[in-house]
Amino acid sequence: MRVHIGLFVVVATASCASAPPKHEAAHGAEPPRYSLVFFIHGDGDYTFHDADGDAHKADEAILASARTVAERNPNAEVFLFHETRRRKLLFVVPRKDGHAYYYRNGELVEERSYWRDQGASRFDPEMTIYEELSATRLQPAAKMFFYFGHEIPEFDGDGYDRSYPKRSFTVPDLTAGLKRMAGNSAKFDVVVLGTCYGGTPYTVNAIAPYARYVVASPENLHRSYFDLRPLEGLDGDWDASAFATEFARNAYERLDEEIETAISVVVYDVDRTISYLNTVEEAYAETLSSLDARSRERTAHCDCAEDPAYVHAGIDDGVEVLYRAPRFGRSKGKQGHSGWGCWKTN
Amino acid sequence: MLTRIAMRLVLCATVVFAMTGVAHAQDAILDRLNDTAVDVKATSDPVQKRAILEKRIDGMVDALSTVRSAPMLSEQDAANIDRVKATLQERSDELAGRNGFSPVPDDQLNAFSSFVVQDFEQAKSITIGVVTLLLIIIIIILLV
Repeated sequence: MRVHIGLFVVVATASCASAPPKHEAAHGAEPPRYSLVFFIHGDGDYTFHDADGDAHKADEAILASARTVAERNPNAEVFLFHETRRRKLLFVVPRKDGHAYYYRNGELVEERSYWRDQGASRFDPEMTIYEELSATRLQPAAKMFFYFGHEIPEFDGDGYDRSYPKRSFTVPDLTAGLKRMAGNSAKFDVVVLGTCYGGTPYTVNAIAPYARYVVASPENLHRSYFDLRPLEGLDGDWDASAFATEFARNAYERLDEEIETAISVVVYDVDRTISYLNTVEEAYAETLSSLDARSRERTAHCDCAEDPAYVHAGIDDGVEVLYRAPRFGRSKGKQGHSGWGCWKTN
Repeated sequence: MLTRIAMRLVLCATVVFAMTGVAHAQDAILDRLNDTAVDVKATSDPVQKRAILEKRIDGMVDALSTVRSAPMLSEQDAANIDRVKATLQERSDELAGRNGFSPVPDDQLNAFSSFVVQDFEQAKSITIGVVTLLLIIIIIILLV
C-alpha cells in the first residue's frame, strides 16, 4: 500500500513538473491573426421572450454565440469574460461570480472562475487573466472588443449590478479597461457596444482614443443583442471598415426580422467623427453635469437632431446609420435618425 | 379557491424575495404581458385577439391604480408605478385608437402584442419595495 502511494506521488509530481500550462502549450511561434475580447455582463435582468413567448437569458445566449465564434476561428485567440449574479451554495457559501474562457486556434485551452472586483478598479481581475494568457503582445492583424450588457451609465452608475447595488459602473470604468487592454500598441480596430444608448457623443468620444471603429446603438437595443455570425471563420484579407459595416448591417437585418420596437445600429468611423464630437463636447458635458440621480426620473434619451445645441455641420460625418422606426407607438412615423443619442429633460 | 391560490403565491413570492433581497416589479408585469401575447397569437379571430389585449392591458392599468391608492406607498414606489401605468395606458390608447393614435389594424394585432412585450423588456429597471410588489402581484392575480 505504501509503495502504491509513493508511486502515485512520484507520477503526479513528475506530471506537474513536465507539463506546461495548456495556454503556454497553445502558444505557437505564429501569433494569432485575430484577437477578440468579449465582456458579457450577466448580473442583472437579462430575460427576453422570443416570438413564441419562450423566455431566454440574453447573457447566456450571447455567451453561447461567442463560444461558437471562438470555436470556428482557427487563426484567433478569444477571451470571454462572463460576469454573473452572486450565488451561494446552500444559501451560505458564496460562489465565484466571474467566469473566463480562453480559446486559441479554435480550442478551449483555459477556463476558470474568479471573483469579480468589488472595488474601484473594475476590470482588475479580468486584466490579470488577460495579461497572463494573451499571446498577442505582438500586434495581431485585427483586434476587436465586444461589450454586452445594459446601457453603460454616463452618470450615476450605482446599481448596474443587481447583486451589488452599491457598486458603480460608468463609461470611464469601461474606457479604463479598454486603455489597459489596448496597452501601448495601436487601438482596437473595432469596438462593439451591445448595449442600449451606446451611441452618444460622450460615450463615443470616451472610447475614441482606443478604437478605430465603433458599432453601437443610439437608442434601445433589444436584448437579443447583435448577431455574432459575421465573426465566424475570420480569414483572408480583413478590413476594419468593411467588417464593421458588414457586422452592423447583418445585426440590423436580423433585428428587423424579429423586433417590433425601433432598431438603430450605427457605425462610427472614429477619426471622422472627432470634429463633430469636439464641437458638441462642452454642451454635452453641461447636460451631464445638470443631471444626477434625483433628476433621473425626469430625463429621457432623444435623437441629438431634436436638440438645436447638437445640430451642427458635421453631424453626419463618419456616421453610417441603419435605422427603422418602431412599428407602433408615438415614434412610429419617425423617418430617420442622426445616429447620435442625447438627453432631454421632461 | 382563488384566494387560496393567491395566498400560496404570495407565500412563495415572500420566501423568494426574502432570499434574494431584490424585488423587480417589471418581472411580474412582463410575465403577464408575455402570457397575453402568447394567447393573442394562439387565436385566429381578430375580435378575440383585441378582446384579450384590451382586457389584460386595461386590467393591469386598473390593478396599478388600485396599488397606487394604497396609503403606505413610498414616494419612489408611487413614481415608479405611475411610470409603468403611463406606459400601459399608452398601449391601451393605441390599441383602441385614442389620444391621437389610429387603432391597431386587425392584421397587426400579433405584431402589436409582441411590441408591447419588447417595449416593456426595454424599459428601465424598476425597483419597487417588496410590500408594494406583493400588492401588485396579488391584485394582478385577482383582477386580471
